[in-house]
Amino acid sequence: MRTLVFIPAWNEAASVASVIADVREAIPGADILVVDDGSGDATAERAREAGALVASLPFNQGLGAALQTGYLYALRNGYDACAHLDADGQHPADEVARLLAEVTADRADLVIGSRYHEGAVAGSGDYKASFSRRIGISVFRFFLTLATRQRFTDTTSGMRAANRRVMSLFSQHYSPDFAEIESLQLAVRQGLRVEELPVRMLERAGGTSFLTPVRSAFFIFKGLVVLLVGQFRPRQAEAER
Amino acid sequence: MKGLVMAAAGNGAQVHLTSQTRIVAAVIALFFMLLILDLIRRDRLQERYSVIWFVAGLGMLAGAAFPGLLELVADAMGVRNTNVALFSIVLLLLLGLALNFSVIMSRQAAQITRLAQERAIEKALADKQAAEGRNGGSAGEQTLEPEEKRF
Repeated sequence: MRTLVFIPAWNEAASVASVIADVREAIPGADILVVDDGSGDATAERAREAGALVASLPFNQGLGAALQTGYLYALRNGYDACAHLDADGQHPADEVARLLAEVTADRADLVIGSRYHEGAVAGSGDYKASFSRRIGISVFRFFLTLATRQRFTDTTSGMRAANRRVMSLFSQHYSPDFAEIESLQLAVRQGLRVEELPVRMLERAGGTSFLTPVRSAFFIFKGLVVLLVGQFRPRQAEAER
Repeated sequence: MKGLVMAAAGNGAQVHLTSQTRIVAAVIALFFMLLILDLIRRDRLQERYSVIWFVAGLGMLAGAAFPGLLELVADAMGVRNTNVALFSIVLLLLLGLALNFSVIMSRQAAQITRLAQERAIEKALADKQAAEGRNGGSAGEQTLEPEEKRF
């Protein structure tokens, strides 16, 4: 079983090395790829020093494009399973290992690490979301659940594990701006088994979230349009299952 | 003259294009088409994107040369004033063009993204091979084996 853990990183020079070290310790068998999304700082150098392979996008393309690069790399290089986590240190690698275990045991095609799942509450007292973030989260949760008829609690989680079916889907279709939510909708519509697993996440180490109230209102609106449009995309027959 | 036209409009008759408007429109259309030809000639505009503009220029010319055509369209639209019909048609045409450009732009953005991804992956693979080369000739093959047993 070959496993790839990839880490999308945009200007995360301060934290990327410790995330790599964490992954190496928690998931010793996995290859590590850092997808540097056109960082202006020393993210790529720090990642190389930490011993990870680095795929540098020549210019900033957005999280979706960076994640898709990871899926494409995993697919092309014959990995059986892959996982990704954020480069800012919010995602403990031992939790990623748990997601991977679900995929390698073939209990799901795509596993999402959820901060808000009931099971997560006990362990994740250290994660607090801001007010505007909480509104966005509950709106997306409601509409994604409506759209997919499957319950999701953490629609924007950037901690996921996937098998080859998901790799081939996401390397073809992955929205560059609204990656997290649309990809869940797409995966469910394509008949893949998507599962959430409660995980523990940490408060972000440095920097603040990019969401101001106006921005998050716009973000929510855009997300709803994306979800609505996604409902009209062709649904593939449950092909390989 | 103008007063006459307004009065005619008030009586429920059609408002037509004046011959002055027609001449101006024809001249602009001709200049426009020449400009497009020149842009193509100097490689500033690709042929495949010029067709739609050329058609627009021809339409403008046809409208100026045969005002009856425009009146026919105005009638079909239920617009009494030919000028208003003209404006509406042009506006719709521009809307269509803008949408067409958004479609082209989206396609090109997707192509650029894929190009960037391919380049990033190729470079990463080259780095990996170089690193394996540094670790000794046979190391490249050996790395695969323990990996299969891992995890």
